[in-house]
Amino acid sequence: MNGLFAADLTGTLGTWVGALLTIAVWSYVVGERTVFRLLQYLLAGLATGYLALLAIREVLIPRLVVPLATDPVHNPLLLVALVACVILGAAAWLPQRLVAPFAGLVVGASAAFALGGAVVGTVLPQMADALLERADGGVGLADGLLALVITILVLLAFLRGGQRGRLTGRAAVIGRWLLVGGIGAWFGFLLVTRLALLVDRVGFLLGDWLGLIR
Amino acid sequence: MAASSAPEEAPRITRLELRRYAPPIGLLLVLAVATLIPAGLQPPELRLASPDRARVDQMRAVVAGLPSSSLVLVGFDPDLGTYPEIRATVRAVLDDLTSHGARLAFASFTAEGRALAAAEIDRLGRRAEAGGTRPEMLDIGFISGAEAGLVRAVSSIVPNSASGALAEAVRARGGGIGAFDLVVVVSGGDLGARSWVEQVGPRLPSIPMVAVAPTFLEPELAPYLRSGQLKALLATLREGVAYAEEVPVAGAPRDRAIPALPMLIGMLIALGWLVVIIMQRATGRLGPGAREGRLA
Repeated sequence: MNGLFAADLTGTLGTWVGALLTIAVWSYVVGERTVFRLLQYLLAGLATGYLALLAIREVLIPRLVVPLATDPVHNPLLLVALVACVILGAAAWLPQRLVAPFAGLVVGASAAFALGGAVVGTVLPQMADALLERADGGVGLADGLLALVITILVLLAFLRGGQRGRLTGRAAVIGRWLLVGGIGAWFGFLLVTRLALLVDRVGFLLGDWLGLIR
Repeated sequence: MAASSAPEEAPRITRLELRRYAPPIGLLLVLAVATLIPAGLQPPELRLASPDRARVDQMRAVVAGLPSSSLVLVGFDPDLGTYPEIRATVRAVLDDLTSHGARLAFASFTAEGRALAAAEIDRLGRRAEAGGTRPEMLDIGFISGAEAGLVRAVSSIVPNSASGALAEAVRARGGGIGAFDLVVVVSGGDLGARSWVEQVGPRLPSIPMVAVAPTFLEPELAPYLRSGQLKALLATLREGVAYAEEVPVAGAPRDRAIPALPMLIGMLIALGWLVVIIMQRATGRLGPGAREGRLA
Protein backbone atom coordinates (compact mmCIF):
# COMPACT_ATOMS: atom_id res chain seq x y z
CA MET A 1 0.00 0.00 0.00
CA ASN A 2 1.36 3.44 -0.82
CA GLY A 3 -0.79 4.80 1.99
CA LEU A 4 -1.72 7.94 0.11
CA PHE A 5 -5.36 6.89 -0.34
CA ALA A 6 -7.87 6.33 2.47
CA ALA A 7 -9.76 3.05 2.73
CA ASP A 8 -13.12 4.71 1.98
CA LEU A 9 -14.95 5.38 -1.28
CA THR A 10 -12.75 8.33 -2.25
CA GLY A 11 -9.66 6.18 -1.70
CA THR A 12 -11.06 3.42 -3.91
CA LEU A 13 -11.93 5.98 -6.57
CA GLY A 14 -8.44 7.48 -6.30
CA THR A 15 -6.82 4.06 -6.66
CA TRP A 16 -8.90 3.28 -9.76
CA VAL A 17 -8.15 6.63 -11.36
CA GLY A 18 -4.44 6.19 -10.57
CA ALA A 19 -4.40 2.67 -11.99
CA LEU A 20 -6.23 3.59 -15.19
CA LEU A 21 -4.01 6.62 -15.75
CA THR A 22 -0.89 4.48 -15.18
CA ILE A 23 -2.05 1.99 -17.81
CA ALA A 24 -2.96 4.86 -20.14
CA VAL A 25 0.56 6.32 -19.79
CA TRP A 26 2.06 2.91 -20.50
CA SER A 27 0.08 2.78 -23.75
CA TYR A 28 2.98 4.87 -25.11
CA VAL A 29 5.18 1.76 -25.22
CA VAL A 30 2.89 0.24 -27.86
CA GLY A 31 2.94 3.42 -29.93
CA GLU A 32 -0.32 4.99 -28.67
CA ARG A 33 0.66 8.62 -28.67
CA THR A 34 -2.76 10.27 -28.67
CA VAL A 35 -3.72 9.05 -25.21
CA PHE A 36 -0.25 9.85 -23.91
CA ARG A 37 -0.46 13.40 -25.28
CA LEU A 38 -3.88 13.88 -23.70
CA LEU A 39 -2.47 12.78 -20.36
CA GLN A 40 0.41 15.23 -20.74
CA TYR A 41 -2.17 17.98 -21.23
CA LEU A 42 -4.06 16.70 -18.20
CA LEU A 43 -0.89 16.80 -16.07
CA ALA A 44 0.04 20.27 -17.29
CA GLY A 45 -3.50 21.52 -16.69
CA LEU A 46 -3.73 20.02 -13.22
CA ALA A 47 -0.31 21.36 -12.26
CA THR A 48 -1.17 24.85 -13.50
CA GLY A 49 -4.51 24.81 -11.72
CA TYR A 50 -2.89 23.59 -8.52
CA LEU A 51 -0.19 26.27 -8.75
CA ALA A 52 -2.79 28.99 -9.26
CA LEU A 53 -4.83 27.73 -6.33
CA LEU A 54 -1.74 27.51 -4.14
CA ALA A 55 -0.65 31.02 -5.08
CA ILE A 56 -4.08 32.46 -4.34
CA ARG A 57 -4.84 30.53 -1.14
CA GLU A 58 -1.43 30.35 0.52
CA VAL A 59 0.37 33.44 -0.80
CA LEU A 60 -1.79 36.21 -2.22
CA ILE A 61 -4.69 36.13 0.25
CA PRO A 62 -2.79 35.63 3.55
CA ARG A 63 0.32 37.66 2.68
CA LEU A 64 -1.06 40.44 0.48
CA VAL A 65 -4.84 40.82 0.50
CA VAL A 66 -5.47 40.30 4.22
CA PRO A 67 -2.64 42.60 5.48
CA LEU A 68 -3.64 45.32 2.99
CA ALA A 69 -7.32 44.99 3.84
CA THR A 70 -6.88 44.97 7.61
CA ASP A 71 -3.97 47.37 8.12
CA PRO A 72 -2.87 49.19 4.96
CA VAL A 73 -1.13 52.03 6.85
CA HIS A 74 1.38 49.72 8.52
CA ASN A 75 2.08 47.78 5.33
CA PRO A 76 3.30 50.40 2.83
CA LEU A 77 5.86 48.03 1.29
CA LEU A 78 3.09 45.66 0.27
CA LEU A 79 1.52 48.42 -1.82
CA VAL A 80 4.86 48.95 -3.56
CA ALA A 81 5.14 45.20 -4.12
CA LEU A 82 1.63 45.12 -5.55
CA VAL A 83 2.44 47.94 -8.00
CA ALA A 84 5.69 46.16 -8.98
CA CYS A 85 3.80 42.90 -9.63
CA VAL A 86 1.22 44.71 -11.78
CA ILE A 87 3.99 46.39 -13.80
CA LEU A 88 5.85 43.11 -14.26
CA GLY A 89 2.61 41.38 -15.27
CA ALA A 90 1.98 44.04 -17.92
CA ALA A 91 5.59 43.95 -19.15
CA ALA A 92 4.63 43.18 -22.73
CA TRP A 93 2.91 46.50 -23.46
CA LEU A 94 4.56 48.87 -20.97
CA PRO A 95 7.70 50.86 -21.89
CA GLN A 96 10.88 48.88 -21.27
CA ARG A 97 12.39 51.65 -19.12
CA LEU A 98 9.53 51.32 -16.66
CA VAL A 99 9.66 47.53 -16.43
CA ALA A 100 13.45 47.12 -16.41
CA PRO A 101 14.15 48.30 -12.83
CA PHE A 102 11.57 45.93 -11.33
CA ALA A 103 12.60 43.00 -13.52
CA GLY A 104 16.25 43.72 -12.75
CA LEU A 105 15.53 43.78 -9.04
CA VAL A 106 13.77 40.41 -9.14
CA VAL A 107 16.39 38.72 -11.33
CA GLY A 108 19.31 40.33 -9.47
CA ALA A 109 18.00 39.39 -6.06
CA SER A 110 17.41 35.77 -7.12
CA ALA A 111 20.89 35.53 -8.65
CA ALA A 112 22.46 37.11 -5.57
CA PHE A 113 20.81 34.59 -3.26
CA ALA A 114 21.95 31.67 -5.42
CA LEU A 115 25.49 32.93 -5.98
CA GLY A 116 26.04 34.11 -2.42
CA GLY A 117 24.75 30.79 -1.06
CA ALA A 118 26.93 28.80 -3.45
CA VAL A 119 30.08 30.66 -2.38
CA VAL A 120 29.42 30.83 1.36
CA GLY A 121 27.63 27.49 1.70
CA THR A 122 29.44 25.28 -0.80
CA VAL A 123 32.69 26.58 -2.29
CA LEU A 124 34.36 27.91 0.86
CA PRO A 125 33.31 25.12 3.29
CA GLN A 126 34.19 22.43 0.75
CA MET A 127 37.60 23.98 0.09
CA ALA A 128 38.25 24.29 3.81
CA ASP A 129 37.17 20.70 4.39
CA ALA A 130 39.42 19.43 1.61
CA LEU A 131 42.42 21.41 2.88
CA LEU A 132 42.01 20.38 6.53
CA GLU A 133 41.33 16.74 5.76
CA ARG A 134 44.24 16.38 3.32
CA ALA A 135 46.70 18.08 5.65
CA ASP A 136 46.73 14.89 7.76
CA GLY A 137 48.70 13.08 5.02
CA GLY A 138 48.45 9.36 4.16
CA VAL A 139 45.45 8.14 2.17
CA GLY A 140 43.72 11.50 2.60
CA LEU A 141 46.64 13.27 0.89
CA ALA A 142 46.66 10.85 -2.04
CA ASP A 143 42.90 11.20 -2.31
CA GLY A 144 43.18 14.98 -2.35
CA LEU A 145 45.93 15.00 -4.96
CA LEU A 146 43.88 12.71 -7.19
CA ALA A 147 40.88 15.01 -6.82
CA LEU A 148 43.07 18.00 -7.70
CA VAL A 149 44.47 16.31 -10.82
CA ILE A 150 41.01 15.22 -11.98
CA THR A 151 39.61 18.72 -11.40
CA ILE A 152 42.41 20.34 -13.41
CA LEU A 153 42.03 17.84 -16.28
CA VAL A 154 38.25 18.36 -16.43
CA LEU A 155 38.66 22.13 -16.34
CA LEU A 156 41.15 21.85 -19.24
CA ALA A 157 38.47 20.01 -21.20
CA PHE A 158 36.36 23.16 -21.04
CA LEU A 159 39.11 25.38 -22.50
CA ARG A 160 37.90 26.89 -25.72
CA GLY A 161 39.65 29.26 -28.11
CA GLY A 162 43.29 30.26 -28.19
CA GLN A 163 46.33 28.16 -28.90
CA ARG A 164 46.59 24.80 -27.14
CA GLY A 165 49.89 23.01 -26.91
CA ARG A 166 50.29 19.29 -27.51
CA LEU A 167 50.39 18.48 -23.81
CA THR A 168 47.41 20.67 -22.99
CA GLY A 169 45.46 19.13 -25.86
CA ARG A 170 46.11 15.61 -24.60
CA ALA A 171 45.24 16.60 -21.06
CA ALA A 172 41.97 18.11 -22.34
CA VAL A 173 41.12 14.82 -24.10
CA ILE A 174 41.73 12.90 -20.86
CA GLY A 175 39.63 15.47 -19.02
CA ARG A 176 36.79 15.00 -21.51
CA TRP A 177 36.84 11.24 -20.98
CA LEU A 178 36.86 11.74 -17.21
CA LEU A 179 33.86 13.99 -17.66
CA VAL A 180 32.11 11.34 -19.74
CA GLY A 181 32.89 8.78 -17.02
CA GLY A 182 31.40 11.04 -14.36
CA ILE A 183 28.26 11.67 -16.39
CA GLY A 184 27.99 7.94 -17.04
CA ALA A 185 28.12 7.23 -13.32
CA TRP A 186 25.43 9.86 -12.77
CA PHE A 187 23.24 8.18 -15.41
CA GLY A 188 23.78 4.91 -13.55
CA PHE A 189 22.30 6.55 -10.46
CA LEU A 190 19.45 7.87 -12.59
CA LEU A 191 18.77 4.38 -13.92
CA VAL A 192 18.39 3.03 -10.38
CA THR A 193 15.97 5.83 -9.56
CA ARG A 194 13.84 5.32 -12.66
CA LEU A 195 13.81 1.56 -12.23
CA ALA A 196 12.65 1.97 -8.63
CA LEU A 197 9.81 4.17 -9.86
CA LEU A 198 8.76 1.59 -12.47
CA VAL A 199 8.83 -1.24 -9.92
CA ASP A 200 6.80 0.92 -7.53
CA ARG A 201 4.17 1.50 -10.23
CA VAL A 202 4.01 -2.23 -10.99
CA GLY A 203 3.61 -2.85 -7.27
CA PHE A 204 0.84 -0.25 -7.10
CA LEU A 205 -1.12 -1.97 -9.86
CA LEU A 206 -0.64 -5.47 -8.43
CA GLY A 207 -1.05 -4.54 -4.77
CA ASP A 208 -3.17 -1.45 -4.29
CA TRP A 209 -5.37 -1.93 -7.33
CA LEU A 210 -5.65 -5.69 -7.93
CA GLY A 211 -4.88 -6.78 -4.37
CA LEU A 212 -2.57 -9.58 -5.52
CA ILE A 213 0.23 -8.70 -3.10
CA ARG A 214 0.13 -7.41 0.45
CA MET B 1 -3.21 -6.81 -57.87
CA ALA B 2 -3.71 -4.27 -55.15
CA ALA B 3 -6.54 -6.29 -53.65
CA SER B 4 -4.42 -9.43 -53.52
CA SER B 5 -1.32 -7.78 -51.99
CA ALA B 6 -3.13 -6.03 -49.15
CA PRO B 7 -3.93 -9.16 -47.10
CA GLU B 8 -0.30 -10.28 -47.42
CA GLU B 9 1.11 -7.01 -46.03
CA ALA B 10 -1.14 -6.74 -43.03
CA PRO B 11 0.35 -9.63 -41.00
CA ARG B 12 3.89 -8.46 -41.84
CA ILE B 13 3.21 -5.04 -40.35
CA THR B 14 1.73 -6.64 -37.26
CA ARG B 15 4.81 -8.80 -36.85
CA LEU B 16 7.05 -5.75 -37.21
CA GLU B 17 5.03 -3.91 -34.60
CA LEU B 18 5.19 -6.93 -32.34
CA ARG B 19 8.97 -7.04 -32.66
CA ARG B 20 9.20 -3.38 -31.82
CA TYR B 21 6.83 -3.44 -28.86
CA ALA B 22 7.76 -6.84 -27.45
CA PRO B 23 10.78 -5.66 -25.36
CA PRO B 24 8.94 -3.02 -23.25
CA ILE B 25 5.87 -5.23 -22.84
CA GLY B 26 8.11 -8.16 -21.92
CA LEU B 27 9.97 -5.99 -19.38
CA LEU B 28 6.70 -4.99 -17.73
CA LEU B 29 5.52 -8.61 -17.59
CA VAL B 30 8.83 -9.84 -16.15
CA LEU B 31 8.78 -7.11 -13.51
CA ALA B 32 5.16 -7.96 -12.67
CA VAL B 33 5.97 -11.66 -12.22
CA ALA B 34 9.06 -10.82 -10.12
CA THR B 35 7.00 -8.48 -7.95
CA LEU B 36 4.40 -11.21 -7.37
CA ILE B 37 6.97 -13.67 -5.99
CA PRO B 38 6.69 -13.42 -2.19
CA ALA B 39 9.78 -12.33 -0.28
CA GLY B 40 9.79 -15.67 1.59
CA LEU B 41 10.35 -17.61 -1.64
CA GLN B 42 13.25 -15.42 -2.75
CA PRO B 43 16.83 -16.39 -1.88
CA PRO B 44 17.81 -14.96 1.52
CA GLU B 45 20.99 -13.53 0.00
CA LEU B 46 18.87 -11.29 -2.22
CA ARG B 47 18.50 -8.22 -0.06
CA LEU B 48 18.12 -4.63 -1.14
CA ALA B 49 19.25 -3.26 2.23
CA SER B 50 22.83 -2.00 2.19
CA PRO B 51 25.19 -4.03 4.40
CA ASP B 52 27.09 -0.81 5.14
CA ARG B 53 25.16 0.63 8.07
CA ALA B 54 27.31 3.72 8.59
CA ARG B 55 24.77 6.17 7.24
CA VAL B 56 21.88 4.40 8.94
CA ASP B 57 23.75 4.63 12.24
CA GLN B 58 24.44 8.33 11.64
CA MET B 59 20.76 9.09 11.07
CA ARG B 60 19.66 7.00 14.04
CA ALA B 61 22.27 8.65 16.25
CA VAL B 62 21.05 12.15 15.31
CA VAL B 63 17.44 11.20 16.08
CA ALA B 64 18.40 9.44 19.30
CA GLY B 65 20.37 12.49 20.41
CA LEU B 66 17.37 14.80 20.28
CA PRO B 67 16.15 16.24 23.59
CA SER B 68 12.73 15.20 24.86
CA SER B 69 9.78 16.96 23.17
CA SER B 70 12.17 18.40 20.64
CA LEU B 71 11.00 20.61 17.80
CA VAL B 72 11.82 19.20 14.39
CA LEU B 73 11.28 21.07 11.14
CA VAL B 74 10.59 18.86 8.14
CA GLY B 75 11.45 20.73 4.94
CA PHE B 76 9.26 18.70 2.65
CA ASP B 77 10.19 19.35 -0.98
CA PRO B 78 10.48 16.08 -2.90
CA ASP B 79 9.60 15.75 -6.59
CA LEU B 80 6.37 14.06 -7.62
CA GLY B 81 8.40 11.92 -9.99
CA THR B 82 11.00 10.59 -7.58
CA TYR B 83 9.10 10.54 -4.29
CA PRO B 84 8.08 6.85 -4.57
CA GLU B 85 11.76 5.93 -4.28
CA ILE B 86 12.16 7.62 -0.90
CA ARG B 87 8.58 7.33 0.41
CA ALA B 88 9.24 4.34 2.66
CA THR B 89 12.42 5.96 4.01
CA VAL B 90 10.67 9.26 4.74
CA ARG B 91 7.92 7.44 6.65
CA ALA B 92 10.51 5.49 8.60
CA VAL B 93 12.25 8.77 9.53
CA LEU B 94 8.93 10.27 10.67
CA ASP B 95 8.22 7.11 12.70
CA ASP B 96 11.69 7.27 14.22
CA LEU B 97 11.24 10.93 15.17
CA THR B 98 7.79 10.49 16.68
CA SER B 99 8.87 7.42 18.62
CA HIS B 100 11.52 9.66 20.21
CA GLY B 101 8.82 12.17 21.17
CA ALA B 102 9.68 14.76 18.55
CA ARG B 103 7.14 17.39 17.57
CA LEU B 104 7.02 17.88 13.81
CA ALA B 105 6.45 21.02 11.77
CA PHE B 106 6.07 20.64 8.00
CA ALA B 107 7.04 23.41 5.59
CA SER B 108 7.33 23.32 1.80
CA PHE B 109 9.02 25.71 -0.59
CA THR B 110 7.87 24.07 -3.83
CA ALA B 111 4.35 23.39 -5.08
CA GLU B 112 5.06 19.69 -5.65
CA GLY B 113 6.48 19.40 -2.17
CA ARG B 114 3.41 21.06 -0.71
CA ALA B 115 1.10 18.61 -2.49
CA LEU B 116 3.06 15.64 -1.14
CA ALA B 117 3.36 17.14 2.34
CA ALA B 118 -0.41 17.60 2.49
CA ALA B 119 -0.87 13.94 1.49
CA GLU B 120 1.60 12.72 4.14
CA ILE B 121 0.07 14.88 6.90
CA ASP B 122 -3.34 13.51 5.90
CA ARG B 123 -1.94 9.97 6.06
CA LEU B 124 -0.50 10.52 9.55
CA GLY B 125 -3.89 11.84 10.66
CA ARG B 126 -5.70 8.82 9.21
CA ARG B 127 -3.26 6.47 10.91
CA ALA B 128 -4.00 8.11 14.24
CA GLU B 129 -7.73 7.63 13.64
CA ALA B 130 -7.06 3.95 12.92
CA GLY B 131 -5.53 3.50 16.35
CA GLY B 132 -1.92 4.50 15.77
CA THR B 133 -0.03 7.18 17.62
CA ARG B 134 -0.75 10.74 16.57
CA PRO B 135 2.38 12.84 16.46
CA GLU B 136 2.14 16.46 17.52
CA MET B 137 2.24 18.28 14.19
CA LEU B 138 2.17 21.78 12.79
CA ASP B 139 1.38 22.36 9.14
CA ILE B 140 3.25 25.54 8.20
CA GLY B 141 2.22 25.11 4.58
CA PHE B 142 3.72 26.55 1.43
CA ILE B 143 6.33 29.30 1.65
CA SER B 144 6.81 31.27 -1.56
CA GLY B 145 10.01 32.76 -2.92
CA ALA B 146 12.16 29.62 -3.27
CA GLU B 147 15.65 30.45 -1.89
CA ALA B 148 14.59 33.97 -0.90
CA GLY B 149 11.69 32.41 1.01
CA LEU B 150 14.13 30.06 2.69
CA VAL B 151 16.21 33.01 3.86
CA ARG B 152 13.09 34.80 5.12
CA ALA B 153 12.10 31.66 7.02
CA VAL B 154 15.34 31.85 8.99
CA SER B 155 13.83 34.72 10.98
CA SER B 156 10.11 33.97 10.60
CA ILE B 157 8.57 30.71 9.50
CA VAL B 158 5.29 30.37 11.38
CA PRO B 159 2.39 32.09 9.59
CA ASN B 160 0.26 34.54 11.58
CA SER B 161 -2.79 32.34 11.11
CA ALA B 162 -1.13 29.30 12.73
CA SER B 163 -2.37 28.44 16.19
CA GLY B 164 -1.88 25.67 18.72
CA ALA B 165 0.69 24.60 21.26
CA LEU B 166 3.34 23.77 18.70
CA ALA B 167 2.99 27.10 16.87
CA GLU B 168 3.26 28.92 20.19
CA ALA B 169 6.31 26.87 21.16
CA VAL B 170 8.06 27.89 17.94
CA ARG B 171 7.07 31.53 18.42
CA ALA B 172 8.37 31.43 21.99
CA ARG B 173 11.77 30.38 20.69
CA GLY B 174 11.94 33.21 18.15
CA GLY B 175 9.58 32.06 15.40
CA GLY B 176 12.26 31.23 12.83
CA ILE B 177 14.12 28.11 11.75
CA GLY B 178 16.46 28.70 14.69
CA ALA B 179 13.63 27.65 17.00
CA PHE B 180 14.01 24.02 15.94
CA ASP B 181 16.34 21.39 17.34
CA LEU B 182 16.73 19.62 14.01
CA VAL B 183 15.93 20.19 10.34
CA VAL B 184 15.02 17.15 8.25
CA VAL B 185 15.16 17.95 4.54
CA VAL B 186 13.14 15.67 2.29
CA SER B 187 14.92 16.57 -0.87
CA GLY B 188 14.01 16.80 -4.52
CA GLY B 189 15.57 18.30 -7.57
CA ASP B 190 14.07 21.80 -7.36
CA LEU B 191 14.85 23.06 -3.89
CA GLY B 192 16.58 20.46 -1.84
CA ALA B 193 19.23 19.82 0.74
CA ARG B 194 21.85 21.82 -1.20
CA SER B 195 19.72 24.97 -0.98
CA TRP B 196 19.20 24.38 2.74
CA VAL B 197 22.92 23.92 3.30
CA GLU B 198 23.78 27.00 1.25
CA GLN B 199 21.11 29.37 2.55
CA VAL B 200 20.33 28.21 6.09
CA GLY B 201 23.65 26.60 7.08
CA PRO B 202 25.78 29.78 7.07
CA ARG B 203 23.04 31.77 8.82
CA LEU B 204 22.27 29.17 11.48
CA PRO B 205 25.41 27.04 11.84
CA SER B 206 24.27 25.52 15.13
CA ILE B 207 21.12 23.89 13.70
CA PRO B 208 21.86 20.28 12.71
CA MET B 209 20.52 19.26 9.32
CA VAL B 210 19.85 15.79 7.96
CA ALA B 211 18.52 14.84 4.55
CA VAL B 212 16.63 12.11 2.73
CA ALA B 213 17.09 12.27 -1.02
CA PRO B 214 16.57 10.14 -4.13
CA THR B 215 19.54 8.26 -5.52
CA PHE B 216 20.33 10.71 -8.31
CA LEU B 217 21.16 13.40 -5.73
CA GLU B 218 23.73 11.25 -3.94
CA PRO B 219 26.78 12.62 -5.83
CA GLU B 220 25.63 16.19 -5.16
CA LEU B 221 24.97 15.75 -1.44
CA ALA B 222 27.69 13.33 -0.34
CA PRO B 223 30.36 16.10 -0.03
CA TYR B 224 28.12 17.97 2.45
CA LEU B 225 27.94 14.87 4.62
CA ARG B 226 31.72 14.49 4.54
CA SER B 227 32.26 18.14 5.47
CA GLY B 228 29.77 17.89 8.34
CA GLN B 229 27.32 20.39 6.86
CA LEU B 230 24.81 17.55 6.85
CA LYS B 231 24.82 15.43 10.00
CA ALA B 232 23.23 12.44 8.25
CA LEU B 233 22.16 11.54 4.75
CA LEU B 234 20.09 8.72 3.29
CA ALA B 235 20.41 9.10 -0.45
CA THR B 236 20.20 5.69 -2.03
CA LEU B 237 17.43 3.14 -2.17
CA ARG B 238 19.63 0.58 -0.39
CA GLU B 239 20.37 2.92 2.53
CA GLY B 240 16.69 3.76 2.75
CA VAL B 241 15.67 0.11 2.93
CA ALA B 242 18.36 -0.61 5.53
CA TYR B 243 17.15 2.32 7.63
CA ALA B 244 13.46 1.31 7.33
CA GLU B 245 14.41 -2.18 8.55
CA GLU B 246 16.12 -0.72 11.62
CA VAL B 247 13.26 1.50 12.71
CA PRO B 248 10.51 -0.30 14.59
CA VAL B 249 7.05 0.09 13.07
CA ALA B 250 4.68 2.14 15.22
CA GLY B 251 0.95 1.39 14.95
CA ALA B 252 -0.29 0.42 11.51
CA PRO B 253 2.15 -1.44 9.26
CA ARG B 254 4.37 0.73 7.13
CA ASP B 255 3.91 0.67 3.38
CA ARG B 256 5.38 -2.00 1.18
CA ALA B 257 9.05 -1.44 0.38
CA ILE B 258 10.39 -1.74 -3.16
CA PRO B 259 11.27 -5.45 -3.60
CA ALA B 260 14.77 -6.61 -4.46
CA LEU B 261 14.07 -9.22 -7.16
CA PRO B 262 12.45 -6.90 -9.76
CA MET B 263 15.20 -4.34 -9.15
CA LEU B 264 17.86 -6.99 -9.80
CA ILE B 265 16.09 -8.19 -12.95
CA GLY B 266 15.66 -4.63 -14.18
CA MET B 267 19.34 -3.85 -13.64
CA LEU B 268 20.37 -7.05 -15.45
CA ILE B 269 18.11 -6.18 -18.38
CA ALA B 270 19.58 -2.67 -18.51
CA LEU B 271 23.11 -4.08 -18.45
CA GLY B 272 22.20 -6.60 -21.16
CA TRP B 273 20.77 -3.82 -23.30
CA LEU B 274 23.95 -1.80 -22.82
CA VAL B 275 26.09 -4.76 -23.90
CA VAL B 276 23.93 -5.32 -27.01
CA ILE B 277 24.27 -1.67 -28.02
CA ILE B 278 28.04 -1.72 -27.48
CA MET B 279 28.34 -4.93 -29.51
CA GLN B 280 26.22 -3.47 -32.31
CA ARG B 281 28.35 -0.35 -32.31
CA ALA B 282 31.54 -2.38 -32.35
CA THR B 283 30.38 -4.49 -35.28
CA GLY B 284 28.89 -1.51 -37.12
CA ARG B 285 25.38 -2.95 -37.14
CA LEU B 286 23.77 0.04 -35.47
CA GLY B 287 20.71 1.32 -37.31
CA PRO B 288 20.48 4.85 -38.74
CA GLY B 289 18.13 5.87 -35.90
CA ALA B 290 20.73 4.99 -33.30
CA ARG B 291 23.44 6.90 -35.16
CA GLU B 292 21.20 9.96 -34.94
CA GLY B 293 20.91 9.49 -31.21
CA ARG B 294 17.76 7.35 -31.07
CA LEU B 295 18.47 4.00 -29.43
CA ALA B 296 15.13 2.32 -30.20
